[in-house]
Amino acid sequence: MITFDHVSKTYPGGNHALDDLSLHIEQGEFVFVLGRSGAGKSTFLKMILREEVPTEGTVVVAGHDVAQLKKKEVPYFRRQMGVVFQDFRLIPTMTAYDNVAFAMRVTNVPEKTIRERVPYVLSLVGLENKQQSYPDEMSGGEQQRVALARALVHTPQLIIADEPTGNIDPELSYEIMELLTAINSVGITVVVVTHEHELVRRFRKRVITIEKGHVFSDTPAGQEYAGGVEA
Amino acid sequence: MNYSSMKYLSGQGLRNLVRNRLMSLAGIAVLTACLAITGVAWLFTANVNSLVEYMGNQNETVVYMAPDADEETTKLAESAILSIEGVQSATFVSKDDALDTYCGYMEEYADVLDEFENDNPFKANYRVVIRDLERIEQIKAQMEQINGVVKVSAPIDMTHAFVNVQHVVILVGYVLVAVLAVVSLVVISNTIRLSVYARRREINIMKYVGATDAFIRWPFFVEGVGVGLIASILASAIVLGGYYALTISSKNLTGFWNTLMGNSVVPFNQVWYWLLGGFVLGGVIIGGLGSVTSVRKHLNV
Repeated sequence: MITFDHVSKTYPGGNHALDDLSLHIEQGEFVFVLGRSGAGKSTFLKMILREEVPTEGTVVVAGHDVAQLKKKEVPYFRRQMGVVFQDFRLIPTMTAYDNVAFAMRVTNVPEKTIRERVPYVLSLVGLENKQQSYPDEMSGGEQQRVALARALVHTPQLIIADEPTGNIDPELSYEIMELLTAINSVGITVVVVTHEHELVRRFRKRVITIEKGHVFSDTPAGQEYAGGVEA
Repeated sequence: MNYSSMKYLSGQGLRNLVRNRLMSLAGIAVLTACLAITGVAWLFTANVNSLVEYMGNQNETVVYMAPDADEETTKLAESAILSIEGVQSATFVSKDDALDTYCGYMEEYADVLDEFENDNPFKANYRVVIRDLERIEQIKAQMEQINGVVKVSAPIDMTHAFVNVQHVVILVGYVLVAVLAVVSLVVISNTIRLSVYARRREINIMKYVGATDAFIRWPFFVEGVGVGLIASILASAIVLGGYYALTISSKNLTGFWNTLMGNSVVPFNQVWYWLLGGFVLGGVIIGGLGSVTSVRKHLNV
């Protein structure tokens, strides 16, 4: 699903964000990506989303070499994945229903399908009663679940979660992680970038730590993560 | 983009107009002011131009006929004068009419003038109004060639002065309108840019969920066009309302002001459709393009 092959990224000004980073994530895997601030996690995510392209090496996501994608192809490429951010990134002027429906509207899905699909996905994340609530009327956990519903609504092959529990209570964090695990159980690849070691240890998934722009350690699923680097 | 998406996005654009009412109001106010100022500058230019043209037309060209020209020659001369390009009208003044007019000026010398009764020294002539003042010299030369014409008296120097003034007025007017239009564009695009900047996060989210650039731009375009339309209606109401009142009150002027303005104010029914069309077109183009170009820089995500 995701392959980084000897990828380096140097920003204008000389900042080396990634340095010869190579990794491979299979379709259907659940992977935690750990790393301290400035380690290169953000650039790693930006490349998966094709917000950045490598200076050297190749990044292949869902069969597409991101550097070869034309600008007009990027929106269609992004529709194959769902993204969840630490700060939820919901459109404040839209209800929970409309925020989720928006991801379908951008793909020209007929309104009839949207009316059927959105309530269903919102019920999957436990928000069937909050469809008409605006983001500022919901708790952090609820907002993150709306974001998760939005990421899920067009049945993506890949979910990218950037610090999805960073802005919510520890108890709710586990709920979100349980939801992501449930999503992964139906074959969707999940990549979670986090700094919460306790969460990583509890779920015993594959853990990749990035340090100074390259892979520092790669702990397979089922093994106890030893905490290779302080994130 | 299909019809359903277009309908949804247009609705979003109109809703955004209300949701972001503070920025919408700022945009409408700025654009209304810019359009109104540009419109007033255009009206001012048109009226100064009309005034200069009116004053230029007050100077008649006189075509004198030969004393021995018979009635037929005089008639043919009139047709020849009127057939010259740039001539608006020609009014015949007979020898007797000329004498009467002259006598009216010099009533106190009635005894002397009585002598002219049997020996009228005045020549029959045509009072010619020239429409195309820039060609007055050519027209004068053409009239001098007409059979039976002995002399053509035309206020060439004065006319040239008026034509020059008219050229300057038109040039200054166009430059003024162009400068105001550019200033309007800069001011309104900055206002729209502020509005778009406040919603850059929204655009960013749209990009991440896979929205195409056209999909993101459309609501902003609709919103910009909405701002432009409202501003153009307001500007039309202000400028056309004001101008209508001015044309009505100019009819009640007396004395010098009536002489100066009474006949030269461009009638309301000759300008309203130009102004309304210009305002709507200008408002829609500035609003729509301003929005779309302001969104562009936030699309590179």
